[in-house]
Amino acid sequence: MKLTDNDLIGLYRDMVYIRQFETRVQELFAAGVLPGFIHLGIGQEACMAGTCFNLVDGDIIGATHREHGVLLCRGVDGKAIMAELYGKVTGTCKGKGGSMHACGLKQGALGNNAILGPAQTIVNGFAYAHKFRKNGKVAVTMFGDGASNRGEFHEGLNFASIWNLPSIYIINNNGYAISVPKSKQQKVEDLSARAAGYGIPGVQIDGNDIITVVETVGEAVKRAREGGGPSLIELKTYRWRGHFEGDPTPYRTAEELESWKKKDPIARFEKVLADQGIAKQKDFDGIAAEVKTKVDECQKFAEDSPWPPLSEIYTDIYYHEEGSVQQ
Amino acid sequence: MIGIIANPASGKDIRRLVAQGTVFDNMEKVNIIQRILVVLHNAGIKDIYMMPDSFRILESAVFALARNLRIDAEVSEIDMICENNQNDSAKAAELLLELGANCIITLGGDGTNRAVAKGCGDVPLIPLSTGTNNVFPKVIEGTVAGMAAVVAELDTERAFFRTRRCKRLCVYKNYELVDMALVDAAVTKDRFIGARALWDLDAITEIFVTMARADSIGMSAIAGYFHPVPENGPTGLYIEIGKRCGFSVRVPIAPGMVEEISVGEVRELLPGERIKIATPEGIIALDGEREVPFRKGDVMEIGLGHDGPFVVEVEQTLTSAARGGFFVKRF
Repeated sequence: MKLTDNDLIGLYRDMVYIRQFETRVQELFAAGVLPGFIHLGIGQEACMAGTCFNLVDGDIIGATHREHGVLLCRGVDGKAIMAELYGKVTGTCKGKGGSMHACGLKQGALGNNAILGPAQTIVNGFAYAHKFRKNGKVAVTMFGDGASNRGEFHEGLNFASIWNLPSIYIINNNGYAISVPKSKQQKVEDLSARAAGYGIPGVQIDGNDIITVVETVGEAVKRAREGGGPSLIELKTYRWRGHFEGDPTPYRTAEELESWKKKDPIARFEKVLADQGIAKQKDFDGIAAEVKTKVDECQKFAEDSPWPPLSEIYTDIYYHEEGSVQQ
Repeated sequence: MIGIIANPASGKDIRRLVAQGTVFDNMEKVNIIQRILVVLHNAGIKDIYMMPDSFRILESAVFALARNLRIDAEVSEIDMICENNQNDSAKAAELLLELGANCIITLGGDGTNRAVAKGCGDVPLIPLSTGTNNVFPKVIEGTVAGMAAVVAELDTERAFFRTRRCKRLCVYKNYELVDMALVDAAVTKDRFIGARALWDLDAITEIFVTMARADSIGMSAIAGYFHPVPENGPTGLYIEIGKRCGFSVRVPIAPGMVEEISVGEVRELLPGERIKIATPEGIIALDGEREVPFRKGDVMEIGLGHDGPFVVEVEQTLTSAARGGFFVKRF
């Protein structure tokens, strides 16, 4: 895959945007500003940015509550995402979905489900439509190692493979299903090996190396667009924060966390860019400052936005409803 | 003492997407280790060390043997901290050398054996193929590999044990040795190591090989399909790729992929000779994996050496041992 310098800087900027956005959300939640539940994707930026780099208008991606970054990378306005997290009316779901359901339907970014897993079958509906229309578009689902144990994963892969759909299943294997380590939730060692059971390619890669993610997902997307059918890609990564904000993480050691921080996808990519003479420290600082301004604007927009009016409480609950529950 | 190094990461790379490679699950590696351990246990060998890994291949194999066959396999884990990358294989090989191993059984591909070769010194290898398109390791049943390891351990007089020293390619950056390859070094115009595997043929400009076999796939096969070079011969080969000044050849370049390759200059690579790379900048892929980046201004050279690792000639060893009565117990 030929990546231009602009592509590379764009990928770096996307990762920094995710990191700063998520860090700000972390701070706001800790300060008691944000309501609801928050699950952060800090440490998994390369998985999100590298995957989304390969998507175009019309493609679909259904991720999880840990992938606010997918929305950011697909071009959903960060202000609307932040407002959604605040529960404000200017949010992507008018403030009623929160972190768990933030979405960007116009950008093909589906909202999350309350339980992880259903997106693994839902995206196949979009993939089937893409195939039927012969439009060369793809449907991607991104989820964790824990969700790969759910029935939808297996049903979805079987359906996608038997219909040869342009579906791409991406597992962000961060080693834990909530608090259960991978060794206690799966007998199979390699999640990518599960692809063999459905007769499709399965690949396991370093999810903290953005170039590897871009190249590998790029090949899977290319294959799907050309009618080659679905693929399963396992990205080995790690979440720096707990499963949810407030999780004391008694199930993992400080040493383990530190060992993964040494594999920070952003720091690793900075080294690559610097070694290649594509960017210097002042460029990284400039991008960090530019992104900070953007995140500040997201926060201010959310703070300044109004709460949903009480009259909206029953709106959008049922299709065709207009303001009240039918008796 | 017998050493075992099983690479938990082999057989899962992008070639499953860009070619027809199949997934090599670690559970199969566990099965192979079980078969090896059964043979060693049967021969009464208890001095066995194996590289630890994040997938706990050894633990799984020992557990399965105890549960299914009531075999209490005695194997020690090499005392090392894993980085979960190819450095683990090199480090494990170094430690096995220090511990005085008589042989090292490796499970992996060309890349795994390249890492092991960096640390194993003169300890001979029994390389079992569990990677993708491998030339260096052979497809040998684990049980048979175990039998060869038994000869390595118990044939103390070296009456039957047969080994061969391999060639290697040495990579020099600005006149310093920086890396090595066992089978091939491909110079590419790629900018990044990324997914490591080679599949963009347009990016490849030059190839160096220690051996070129027509019954293989990959970089070595490119030469193998018009100028075979035996693995035990004295020379290697240098090939210029992509320039339409010579001829083209149809070659199986990856599992299930046949491509037409344009070949320019071809010349033999003599022992001790170094050839300067003509490509101004890019990455050198070693044994199929992008490894050594170089920029404009770097002087890059590749040379052929006869100081690669020793490998066990499994068939010759077992045949010789059989003829010499090594396996016979008389009443």
